Amino acid sequence: MRFLLATARKDLLRLRSDWPALLLWIGIPLLVGGLLVLVFGGDSNPRARLLVDDRDSSLAGRLLTGGFSQGPLAEIVDVEGVATDEGLRRIEDGDASALLVIPEGFGAALLDGRPASLELVKNPAQTILPAILEATLDIELEAAEVLRRLFDEPIARIAADEDREGFPPDSLVASVAAEFNRAGEGARGWLLPPAIELATVEPPAEQAFDFGRAFFPGMLILALLFMATGLSADVWSERRLGTLERAIVTPGGVGTFVAGKWLAGAAALALVAAIGLVAGRWAFGIEIANPALAFVWLALVGVALLAAFTLVQVLAKSERAASVLVNAVTLPLAMLGGSFFPFEAMPSWMVALGKATPNGWALLRLRAIVDGDPEPRLLAVSAIGVIALLVGGGWLVTRRIRSWTS
Amino acid sequence: MIQVDELRKEYDGVVAVDDVSFEARPGEIFGLLGPNGAGKSTTIGCISGLLTPTAGSVRIQQYDVAREPVAAKSRMGIVPQEVALYEDLPAEENLRFWAEAYGLRGERAAERVRAVLDTVGLADRGNDRVETFSGGMKRRLNFGCGIVHEPEVLLLDEPTVGVDPQSRVRLLDLVREQAGAGVCVLYTTHYMEEAEALCDRLAILDHGKIIAAGTLEELRGKEGERDLVRLSGSFDPEAVGRAVSDVEGVEIVAAGPEQVALAVAAASRRLPEILTLVSGTGAAVRETTVTRPSLESLFIRLTGKELRE
Ligand SMILES: Nc1ncnc2c1ncn2[C@@H]1O[C@H](COP(=O)(O)OP(=O)(O)O)[C@@H](O)[C@H]1O
Ligand SMILES: [Mg+2]
Repeated sequence: MRFLLATARKDLLRLRSDWPALLLWIGIPLLVGGLLVLVFGGDSNPRARLLVDDRDSSLAGRLLTGGFSQGPLAEIVDVEGVATDEGLRRIEDGDASALLVIPEGFGAALLDGRPASLELVKNPAQTILPAILEATLDIELEAAEVLRRLFDEPIARIAADEDREGFPPDSLVASVAAEFNRAGEGARGWLLPPAIELATVEPPAEQAFDFGRAFFPGMLILALLFMATGLSADVWSERRLGTLERAIVTPGGVGTFVAGKWLAGAAALALVAAIGLVAGRWAFGIEIANPALAFVWLALVGVALLAAFTLVQVLAKSERAASVLVNAVTLPLAMLGGSFFPFEAMPSWMVALGKATPNGWALLRLRAIVDGDPEPRLLAVSAIGVIALLVGGGWLVTRRIRSWTS
Repeated sequence: MIQVDELRKEYDGVVAVDDVSFEARPGEIFGLLGPNGAGKSTTIGCISGLLTPTAGSVRIQQYDVAREPVAAKSRMGIVPQEVALYEDLPAEENLRFWAEAYGLRGERAAERVRAVLDTVGLADRGNDRVETFSGGMKRRLNFGCGIVHEPEVLLLDEPTVGVDPQSRVRLLDLVREQAGAGVCVLYTTHYMEEAEALCDRLAILDHGKIIAAGTLEELRGKEGERDLVRLSGSFDPEAVGRAVSDVEGVEIVAAGPEQVALAVAAASRRLPEILTLVSGTGAAVRETTVTRPSLESLFIRLTGKELRE
């Protein structure tokens, strides 16, 4: 018990010292929320100018920047090609939000799965617009990685064709497209970068669209999802630091240690949930019928996600593989789970899938609580499920960690 | 007390530790000396409970590590080979966490944290985050985390590797202090001088096996009074072997095309004679070194290779 509390305390101290990450976890959903406000409800539309110096001229680079000229992003982002010198000058003059430099060889690296890097110079005088550009690029790159893994074969073909000048010939495009299609009609919905996918969402014109009700619970769940993902990676940090081995040889053992980490994570998740609920009430004016129940539910959802993601983390072979794996799980969950775009706007096959995701399930229950119509039976069943997950997951995680050394 | 009996550890069929037995007593520094890959860390891992031995047993005081892990583990302090610290926490919080992990609480824990910070010479840096520390400071704090709960048995795995000379002297003093206070210390190293300077008794480990064990005096005695003569150049190993085989008081330790090592009684007087003999085989000798009997010459004699490889 002492060891459990000591572990939780230690982790909370570490989290506090890493408060920028905490801000980010709260910030991402707010950012997405902000984006949606701009797209659907905002009255003034600020425009961001993204300058691009594409030294690679590869298909990958064109797709990447192409993401900004589609859907709702096209409403607020102008993409313009420049040379780096000119771009830097214009940022200094306040004429653009950011300059993206795509280095030579970027496309090839991305296709081969080698580390690929982009350079984004943000206009220091602006805050929100460069952040939106950065977040979008981040998501696109994650998506590209997932795509690469899924569509290895057709991508290899594109890669083989990369040397050709200009656009690939129609025959190649056609055969590759056919293969993409075959590789997974269903997977498409979540694999495409959200920036592109958002284009299809249209608020119902006739009835008044209550932005807060539609998006606020989803944003809360999304925050917990991202945060649990981030927190779960800490087992790998502990392994890298060597502190995990130290914990194994304490009399308390690694099981207690993991429990302590989850306790700390639960506390941090609950804090973010509380901040979210308060922000929803006071900043967005959203009436929550039963705030206490909403809070307990969010805390429960948070710790369940943390336990599940920790399990995914330790099942991977390496830290790098774990990060890819967890993102490959998180991304579709986030896309399907009703947070980015509401169930009401999804095709029916997607709704069925989305409602069955853990975060989709959590969102539906949360909405019911917020609307003052909680479902006691479903909540009770969920609570039992979470406890089973904590016990069983904890056991599996502990066993897996022990197998790393012994 | 640490008692290791017929310990064996295999990794997927590869034997890392092979039938190792020894006993380390309270107040003693027991050394495990061996080159990289000899099985030192694996032995320490089996003792600490990090690894599960393939066969054999380990006892800490009267407790068997496999059967009574909690009692055994709570009496041990471990200083791992790689620094294991929370970089984003202050030194103080690192110590406090490991103190609490071993059951210390409240004022007692705080007292120990202060005392250890003082002992390892970080009293004025207790509130600073570890990431701001130098390598030597981290090594000292790493040591501190292993002793904060006042263990009866202390396991140290090459604690001075990559440490600046000043921190190293300090660390060795800290180890002596622990033994002086009655702690049973197991110390692994691949530095021969360190083993000679520090350990009361030691075991020399190679390829997972103990090839010699005893006090420093006993081990030196095994080497006899013969010096080690090492010749480098180009040789015909067999011809050299034949040439010296009948010479009184000279024995071949190792012979290769580029290196020859001989154990020679009173080598300084007989060097000209030996060089003449070896040159007579058509060898070209570029360099000659004579070493007094030492752990190193013993190691070379037992294994036919240098300790540092
Ligand atoms: N986890 C492991 N899996 C497989 N082989 C290992 C593992 N750890 C160590 N070994 C092997 O066991 C032997 C002993 O290693 P180790 O105990 O680390 O030696 P030392 O600490 O003396 O340098 C080496 O040959 C090493 O390659
Ligand atoms: Mg080692």
